[in-house]
Amino acid sequence: MEFLDYYKILEIDKNATQADIKKAYRKLARKYHPDLNPKDQNAQQKFQQINEAHEVLSDPEKRKKYDQYGKDWEHSDAFEQARKQQQQAGGGFGRQYTYSTGSQGFDESQFSEFFESMFGGGFGGGRSSSRGQFKGQDLNASLRLNLTDTLRDQKQTIDLGEKKIRITIPAGVEDGQTIKISGYGGEGMHGGPKGDLYITFEVFNNTNYKRLGSDLYATKEVSLYQAVLGDEITVDTLTGKVKLQVKPGTQNDTKVKLRGKGLPKYKQDGQFGDLYLTYKVAIPTKLSAKEKDLFTQLSNL
Amino acid sequence: MDAKNYILIKTFCKHSNIDDSFIYALYEQGLVTVEERDSEPVFEENEISKIERLFRLHHDLGINYEGLGAINDMLQRMEQLEAEMELLRKRLRLYE
Repeated sequence: MEFLDYYKILEIDKNATQADIKKAYRKLARKYHPDLNPKDQNAQQKFQQINEAHEVLSDPEKRKKYDQYGKDWEHSDAFEQARKQQQQAGGGFGRQYTYSTGSQGFDESQFSEFFESMFGGGFGGGRSSSRGQFKGQDLNASLRLNLTDTLRDQKQTIDLGEKKIRITIPAGVEDGQTIKISGYGGEGMHGGPKGDLYITFEVFNNTNYKRLGSDLYATKEVSLYQAVLGDEITVDTLTGKVKLQVKPGTQNDTKVKLRGKGLPKYKQDGQFGDLYLTYKVAIPTKLSAKEKDLFTQLSNL
Repeated sequence: MDAKNYILIKTFCKHSNIDDSFIYALYEQGLVTVEERDSEPVFEENEISKIERLFRLHHDLGINYEGLGAINDMLQRMEQLEAEMELLRKRLRLYE
């Protein structure tokens, strides 16, 4: 079990007055409030620690007890003994929560093991019952896919721990995109509606293309001769090979668009993005004597 | 799309321990739409998350109703900016 330095958490020193504590608490609670930091998982944990530190230090009795044990923490025997007494007295039943993520539905009565062993469980009930929660907790999950898995709708089973659900991942889903599945979050309180499940996709690009929305981008090397004289080339797309005419006199960095050869558009059935190819003209190096001679002749024409 | 579900204000308030004056204060700020169904005040069920979030901010940080309005707008704007930043980041990756 880890010793929690509540003074450090509130960024105050050991002689802080009640007014100092209140001020420090307000400042940090504002900074780390999970509803103001919706994307930051650390904020949630930090906010819980701040609440816990405040719960202890703002209560003179708890503070006194904490100061005493805190000092003796190194001699953990004394602490252990106190802890056992505490448990015999019926306090300190272990509560284990896994943080169900989500900016909504955090519960500040989730105190640390350290807190519970010192002050017993069951604190904070008074506070949390007034917190006004009716709708169930929202859950967040993330799902990793390869880019090539997003070419068509995918049925997938997600294991939520207590239950499994089947979802269809629509083709064309993007990296970082979140979909909401209503009613698959935690149970509501007192008959309230269930929370929602938010699934965020991590789409790993397992191709050589770069992606922007439903469009794909790639470079294609062509030789100097192909660029000057034109040629028919074959290029790979995600749906197979395609023949393409390189026009005579093609400049370096010329961009061509292969309509409909990109990714499926999200929730637009049968619609596809485009594939953009940028030609890179390879200038020959290490010329043979004959090549050099011919280039020189050309340049003198 | 989800069908619109409504919840009676008195049902919500009873179970969430949020006073109905809080809902009406949000209504005054234009933060929630209150309607009447069978002459009972109701609001849309998908507003619950927002109401609970605003209540937590009010309760935890002592933010008043005007402040809640401002925060709600700011959070929305932040979300837009983040989406825009994400798009720009992806666009930038094309040039890497």
